[in-house]
Amino acid sequence: MDTLKPDAANYQRLLKHYIAAQDEQSLYGAEQISKQFIQNNVPPEDIVNLHNQAMASLYSDMPAYFRHSMNFLLETMISYGVMLQEYHTLREEQSELKSEIAVAANMQDTLLKTTTPDMEGMDIGVISVPAHQMNGDYYHFVTGSDGLLGVAVADVIGKGIPAALCMSMIKYSMDSLPEKIMRPQTILENLNRVVERNVDDSMFITMFYAQFIPSGGTVRYSSAGHEPGFYFNAQQNTFEELEAKGLVLGVDPDTNYQQYERVLHQGDMLILLTDGVTECRQGDRFIESQEVLDVIGRFSHLPAQEMVDNVYKHFEWLQDFHLRDDFTLIVLKKV
Amino acid sequence: MDLTIDVTDADNQSTVWLSGEIDAYTAPQLKEALVPLTTSEGHQVIVDLEDVGYMDSTGLGIFISALKSAKEHNSSIRLKNLQDRVLRLFQITGLDDIFTIDTAIWGGNK
Amino acid sequence: MGLLSCVTINNEWDIVKARQLGRECARDVGFSTVDQARIATAVSELARNIYLYTDSGQLCFEQISHTEQKGMTLVSLDDGPGMDDISQMMEDGYSTSGGLGTGLPGVKRLVDQFDIQSEKGKGTEIRAVKWTR
Repeated sequence: MDTLKPDAANYQRLLKHYIAAQDEQSLYGAEQISKQFIQNNVPPEDIVNLHNQAMASLYSDMPAYFRHSMNFLLETMISYGVMLQEYHTLREEQSELKSEIAVAANMQDTLLKTTTPDMEGMDIGVISVPAHQMNGDYYHFVTGSDGLLGVAVADVIGKGIPAALCMSMIKYSMDSLPEKIMRPQTILENLNRVVERNVDDSMFITMFYAQFIPSGGTVRYSSAGHEPGFYFNAQQNTFEELEAKGLVLGVDPDTNYQQYERVLHQGDMLILLTDGVTECRQGDRFIESQEVLDVIGRFSHLPAQEMVDNVYKHFEWLQDFHLRDDFTLIVLKKV
Repeated sequence: MDLTIDVTDADNQSTVWLSGEIDAYTAPQLKEALVPLTTSEGHQVIVDLEDVGYMDSTGLGIFISALKSAKEHNSSIRLKNLQDRVLRLFQITGLDDIFTIDTAIWGGNK
Repeated sequence: MGLLSCVTINNEWDIVKARQLGRECARDVGFSTVDQARIATAVSELARNIYLYTDSGQLCFEQISHTEQKGMTLVSLDDGPGMDDISQMMEDGYSTSGGLGTGLPGVKRLVDQFDIQSEKGKGTEIRAVKWTR
């Protein structure tokens, strides 16, 4: 190890000085040399050996017992040296894995990107933040030539890569459906069959699908076991949970979905979310549904996008900037 | 977080007592303990969730696995004493119509 | 020390004999103090595997002096159960008798060349070579 030689001379010089003076400066020097050793991957047994040689060099009358004791210590350090090498290998592997996940996350972003439509008569705000590198929440907008707006929100159970792969499957399935003419309940029924055939025993997906017909302000929706959204009644200034019961996707291929309908008047809002919003915790305490609504209500006078951004910031702060689950919130306001 | 699992076996029946939280970390443990119990034909598996204060969707996934296994092997599974929060999860997801769930206790957050 | 010398490993004390013989051989070849210690540790791990997992086996040492660079070969031979999955045994952190820093992956890091032949039911042969610097 050639890099060891200048270090060896340095080490000996500092050692000699420290033995004589026991000064802090020499110890600081030792700290610097130590960093160099680490940078050059010098294993601990080499350092013990270096010390032994330095001492032999400085003290010709070194007692045999000291030399023996250092050799004993050297043997003890060998396994530590091996472990250090393994640590380096593991760190490299970890770094590679992180890069791979970053690539996958990027691909996911590209493949699943959906643009928030600019729709007359509707103000739309969207925020979707993953808890880790890959997002297990999925949302999707589709617009028809007759002004029809379709919106889907889904939550794939599990996190990370498996959830994201599941999501790709949903996206491609939906791409192949003539969404613009299908009713929400039919869309869910179709998806359910696809999911059930293709996922693991313990996986399932929750989804909420809504279709807006802007001309009359009607919205039709169905839910597959998804976290209930809310309807905001502008005139009464009240929130109401969107009742829409249905079985999660992927469990029973023959299940049917119920479809519901509502009329939105000016100022009314439809709020869709995933359980990353309602399962927020403040420390050990779960927040209650009412609190979620209070926060949303607080920002309801703002344009939809500002509204969701502010709501997110509040919950991010509440959880100490540490999301437990992917957070998705969509607000559709009739203007 | 943490999950304790106690199982008592009788002739035709096994009772599983759960305590703690069922999430992505503890779910594998639950799967390992629960699913094998459903593989004997005619066997009844009862899961008591009285002391489960929190369960997330990964936990639900495990119960779904167990239910599917029970259907496949002709055994049965029933859940009892669900806390409010946990019951709500089964209700929202529509799984309360698929699972046999006995008396929920009221109380919520422990 | 001859070209090839061996130690039969039947009990734990034989591990110590193997270490000693290995270190002496290394010294004869001209390895540094630290490398002698590394070789002794590698020998120890190999001998320990024989002791723990087989009825009996041998550890042999051979000097390499015909090449420009000097070195030493360690050979571990046993009639034990053999290994099902060699790549799993060679994974860092996987060890039936320890954790990081031990086991066959550890031996591999202490030497320069490492080769293992093992078949279930047919025993194991491990050859490790270390060169002087």
